[in-house]
Amino acid sequence: MHGLLLAAALQVAASAGEARVVALNEARRLVNAGKPDAALEALRPLAADDPQAALLRGVAHYHANHPVQAIDTLLPAVPKLPEGSLERREAVQVLGLSSYLAGRIAEAIPYLEQTRRWAEGNPELSYVLGMAYVQTRQADKARDTWARSFGVPPASAAAHLLAAQMMVRAELDELADTELKQALVLDPRLPRANLLLGQTALFRGRLDEAVALFKRELEISPGDAMAFYRLGDAYTRQLQWDDALAALQKSVWINPYFSGPYILLGKTYMKKGDLAAAEGMLRQAIAYDPNNKAAHYLLGQLLQQAGRTEEARRELEAAEKLQGTTDR
Amino acid sequence: MSRARARRAAAALLIAAGTATVGRALAASTEAAGALGFSFREVAREAGLDAVTVFGGKDVNRYLLETTGCGAAFLDYDGDGWLDVFLVNGTTLEGFPKGQEPINHLYRNRGDGTFEDVTRKAGLAQSGWGQGVCAGDYDNDGNVDLFVTYYGQNHLYRNRGDGTFEDVTAKAGLLSKRLRWNTGCAFLDYDRDGKLDLLVANYIDLDLATAPTPDSGLCRYKGVKVACGPPGLPGGKNALYRNKGDGTFEDVSDKAGITRNSGTYGLGVSTLDFDDDGWVDAYVANDSNPSALYRNNHDGTFTDVAVPAGCAYSQDGKPQAGMGVAVGDYDRNGTMDVFKTNFAGDTATLYANTGQGFCEDRTFASGIGLNTRWLGWGTAFVDFGKDGWLDLFLVNGHVYPEVVQLKTEAGYRQRKIVYHNAAGRFEDVSERLGPPVTDPRAGRGAAFGDYDNDGDVDVVINNVNDRPDLYRTESDPSRHWLLVKLVGTQSNRSAIGARVRCTAGGVTQVQEVRGGGSYMSQNDLRVHFGLAGAAAVDRLQVRWPNGREEEWMGIAADRILTVTEGTGKGL
Repeated sequence: MHGLLLAAALQVAASAGEARVVALNEARRLVNAGKPDAALEALRPLAADDPQAALLRGVAHYHANHPVQAIDTLLPAVPKLPEGSLERREAVQVLGLSSYLAGRIAEAIPYLEQTRRWAEGNPELSYVLGMAYVQTRQADKARDTWARSFGVPPASAAAHLLAAQMMVRAELDELADTELKQALVLDPRLPRANLLLGQTALFRGRLDEAVALFKRELEISPGDAMAFYRLGDAYTRQLQWDDALAALQKSVWINPYFSGPYILLGKTYMKKGDLAAAEGMLRQAIAYDPNNKAAHYLLGQLLQQAGRTEEARRELEAAEKLQGTTDR
Repeated sequence: MSRARARRAAAALLIAAGTATVGRALAASTEAAGALGFSFREVAREAGLDAVTVFGGKDVNRYLLETTGCGAAFLDYDGDGWLDVFLVNGTTLEGFPKGQEPINHLYRNRGDGTFEDVTRKAGLAQSGWGQGVCAGDYDNDGNVDLFVTYYGQNHLYRNRGDGTFEDVTAKAGLLSKRLRWNTGCAFLDYDRDGKLDLLVANYIDLDLATAPTPDSGLCRYKGVKVACGPPGLPGGKNALYRNKGDGTFEDVSDKAGITRNSGTYGLGVSTLDFDDDGWVDAYVANDSNPSALYRNNHDGTFTDVAVPAGCAYSQDGKPQAGMGVAVGDYDRNGTMDVFKTNFAGDTATLYANTGQGFCEDRTFASGIGLNTRWLGWGTAFVDFGKDGWLDLFLVNGHVYPEVVQLKTEAGYRQRKIVYHNAAGRFEDVSERLGPPVTDPRAGRGAAFGDYDNDGDVDVVINNVNDRPDLYRTESDPSRHWLLVKLVGTQSNRSAIGARVRCTAGGVTQVQEVRGGGSYMSQNDLRVHFGLAGAAAVDRLQVRWPNGREEEWMGIAADRILTVTEGTGKGL
């Protein structure tokens, strides 16, 4: 009798174990298929303290953009997963990414560093780790991380330039300026460094400084369409329309496929009173970049001023429909 | 005595008095005043403005509700000729035990440079999430009334004329049927019937039960978790209440087109006559959205023309996080220009009014584009130096207290900015002015007015979780001025919407009496003119809110002139 009961119990346990494996496999399939909510549903019958189930729950939460729940799920699960196992590595990686997404930047770094040890070449990981370092004001480590990722020597001018470029992306302009100045100390003729410094000066309204930096960039890279474009931008902000026109035309000659200079040429011709030329330039900008809010907006302004109110209304409505972002 | 010798002598005296710190500030101010013709002295404590404005968590905010702070007003509530101060107050999410809630404060100007807190005596001891304030004589009885906005129920206070106010919100039909986040407000007579109506901006339809919090991890500023919004949260709808003339108001927001604006998330409000047609218009600074310029259609309706007129966005068509608004003719071309304060990382925006129904963005060309670090709130065009050109004053402070974690940000508490206007081109003179301009505070609302009646315009600032500041302006006494108090008889008594042209020394300046202004605040309803070397005004022309035009000739400068509708020479 006792033997029979034991056999039945073992059979139940075996089928429960099979059900668990089925649920785990199904959850994994759903996560991979981009259905994290369904994966969480599939995992519902499994025990909360099951480390494999917890791993998949954490991964599903991460993919469902619930970073805080992912962290809460994964933190207790990680020590229960076998050291060195693929599951543990995945849990640590997702914990790092979730912590970053949840704004727990300093907490994310040790997990991301652990992950880097077994995923050195992963570019996304390098990006996130570098950003985590830069947001915690560890510029040297950020530079080192990105230098490895881009394959340049960590102490080189190129490494400082790349770090600066990433810092500009993170809107950390002061940090970027420091990197760029160091890059120019190491290599005074490094392309793009003066351009990036000039852009910061331009956006901060230091227009004379911006003009000087763009001119310096053009001494190094005489065919840089972006440098001509930014130079033209600075001149438009100074209301120096003739200088702006000259710089913007050169930018278009070198790269006729970028909408930016056409927009500024439109603005410049508007100010010079040549509405036909202005309209042509703005329509050219829209042809190259139909979703450019500024181009539609300026064209709407031009048409409004020309008394073509119905056409103006259409352009202004088009501009309003395009999502704009503020600095908030 | 040379300026250097005078400074040495002043410094010696101050050091002898043992006030070296004050001495340094005053010496810096004196130097600045010498060059610019004006300086500031912070006198709030000695003047008796000492109540703390409480507003949300000091270090961490869960909701955007805790970030907006409060407005301020200069008004002469007791009609004694001296400007009094009203400061709106807030609360916290946790609240306060009964009887210990923070309340708004009314400070009566004693006329000797000091103020007396008369809040309770005046019947204005209201608590809650106070936001904005505006003033005007809505019942034309000669006593200026007050309207205070809330996240929650607004309050209209009728001035009884005996030093006390009556809360007439319910009686006036201004009880709200639902929870609203009301912000900036302005009294204005949009239908020219001689009675002041009310425009009230709304920010977010915020439900604290469902609004996301920083814990969600989804709302970050430069990596730091912060309060969520406004993007992603439902925008509030602005409201217009028409004064029916019997002590009650009716909500005409939809009928008048006020709710058909392009953007939402309204904050600062100011009246102006943008197109100089004699009918009052209004500008609303919207956060993260195109701002609104409500053009008066002369038929009881408005059209938001900010987008086609070019004063809704940045010069590239980008929405900005508008907070406060200043109106004035900074370039002396006879039209009302608009200045809007925005978020950190962006410039404030200067829209020059071309006079043809359009704005020209002159932010960079005028020298304003230099500053992108500061997050602006209260602001005004003011001729501090009385040289005939309108300068700019900006109150700053970050939205999120959590930014103290970010070393590259300008901080939660920020300094003010003062731009000196040199013939239409602005120069940042904040560093030259030194303290108190450069003293960091979490500033929000600010009101501008000559509280000591000495001919220059002073500033009161409402700071978050801090005491207020009162900047007494000290200006070159050799420069002349005129302060004009307008009294409507057929038009609304406060003369809000009146336009004044002042010609002196061959220069003509144009000013207006405006409702609201700055950030959720109310400036002095008197109109100030700096006359530089002109000791007399040759001609003063007034276009009253009802369109009637009159003029007065040969007015001696350096005085406060009361001008009553119907007493001038008709034009």
